[in-house]
Amino acid sequence: MTADIHSLVGAYVLDAVDDLERAAVDRHLRECDACRTDAAELREAAARLADGAWSVPPPRLRDNVLAAVATTRQLPVETLRRSRRPYRARWLAAAAAVVAAVGAGTAVFTVQEQRVREERSVAEAVRTRESEVRDILAAPDVVLRDQPLTGGGKVTVAYSRLRDSGVIMMAADAAPDGGRVFQLWTVRSGTPVSEGVLAVGQTSIVKVVAGMSSASAVGVSVEPPGGSPAPTVTVAGVKTI
Amino acid sequence: MAERGMSRRAEHLTPVPGPGSDVPVGANDLLLAVGRGDEEAFARLYDLVAPRVYGLIRRVLRDPAQAEEVAQEVLVEVWRTAARFDQASGSATSWVFTIAHRRAVDRVRAEQASAERAVRAGVAAIETPYDEVADEVAGRLERQQVRHCLDDLTDLQRQVVIMAYYQGHSYPQVAELLKTPLGTVKTRMRDGLIRLRDCLGVEVTA
Repeated sequence: MTADIHSLVGAYVLDAVDDLERAAVDRHLRECDACRTDAAELREAAARLADGAWSVPPPRLRDNVLAAVATTRQLPVETLRRSRRPYRARWLAAAAAVVAAVGAGTAVFTVQEQRVREERSVAEAVRTRESEVRDILAAPDVVLRDQPLTGGGKVTVAYSRLRDSGVIMMAADAAPDGGRVFQLWTVRSGTPVSEGVLAVGQTSIVKVVAGMSSASAVGVSVEPPGGSPAPTVTVAGVKTI
Repeated sequence: MAERGMSRRAEHLTPVPGPGSDVPVGANDLLLAVGRGDEEAFARLYDLVAPRVYGLIRRVLRDPAQAEEVAQEVLVEVWRTAARFDQASGSATSWVFTIAHRRAVDRVRAEQASAERAVRAGVAAIETPYDEVADEVAGRLERQQVRHCLDDLTDLQRQVVIMAYYQGHSYPQVAELLKTPLGTVKTRMRDGLIRLRDCLGVEVTA
């Protein structure tokens, strides 16, 4: 596992990893001083590649940036720089493996409820989604839990109380039989609430869930196409308190 | 509102001071001043880094209008988060270009994801042969130390580094495009950067 993370450092510095791999490396670097120095040096070398990309920006960019800066408040120095939670690195690495298998970028779109026609709004949606996922994974209090799916595969839940949101990452080995579909749930005040229905044949998804602090569990069930108002056959349940 | 730093007197807009001019102020000092809310230091830092920030983003996105938009986001982000810059973990320019590269890559991945979706919908995607881009990049890097050092890499090291950095490809995408095993691509990215680091003489005293 550690060897795996070390071999990722080049891709990490080049921004050639996905969000979960990045989070796993970030956690590891927090624990390992020597690795942090190594990564910093490689990042320094990579940043020099920008020297080769010099190009004169449009003059209005300067005016626009300076005008924006004049009305933008600065953030204070980060205080939560190093939290020592070794177990997180393991969880995140496990989650990274799930999402690597899932292919986070494309899976997001196949959810029926999020079908968007226009390409631009799709791109916009991915950007928002990716930054939401990243924000949750980078939260100082992020908690990761996972659970195997009956029938093969795994569901991983990452959630943060500070952000009051979570990410459900599911990757099944196979689609349910009989043309049925997977449906995601949270349990709130003892009642299951649908968090989305997958399409027929869809086996994986990355889903951001808001208001996680009021959810006591996350579940995955198998339902008729289009989903059900309440879970029929539960294939995984993850407690989140 | 904003606390002024001590660099009020200097009003240069040009990034490179000519001979006999004031003591040049480096990006590190400027960024530290920006972190204290110094807007003039920010303007000078802008002049120093904007062509590379914009150029890098444009290289990755290949669309000037989008590049301008993202460059603006990045430069405002630099202002917003400057207080978090930590000298011990790297140079100011590296800090800035890291933010720029990350944003450009995020944007390109989003576009790729939507392009993949378009492909599934039966719409053909326009694909640029990576060799062409690599050549173009290499051409513009002439007369640069970076170019010299890139030449020092093996072909595969150079190719994977360029595809990731200038085109925003993830390592699995690079592996697929080059028909090379994932593990090899990861390793070449790492040892390519190590070689680049050694050639450039980069050091970080953390």
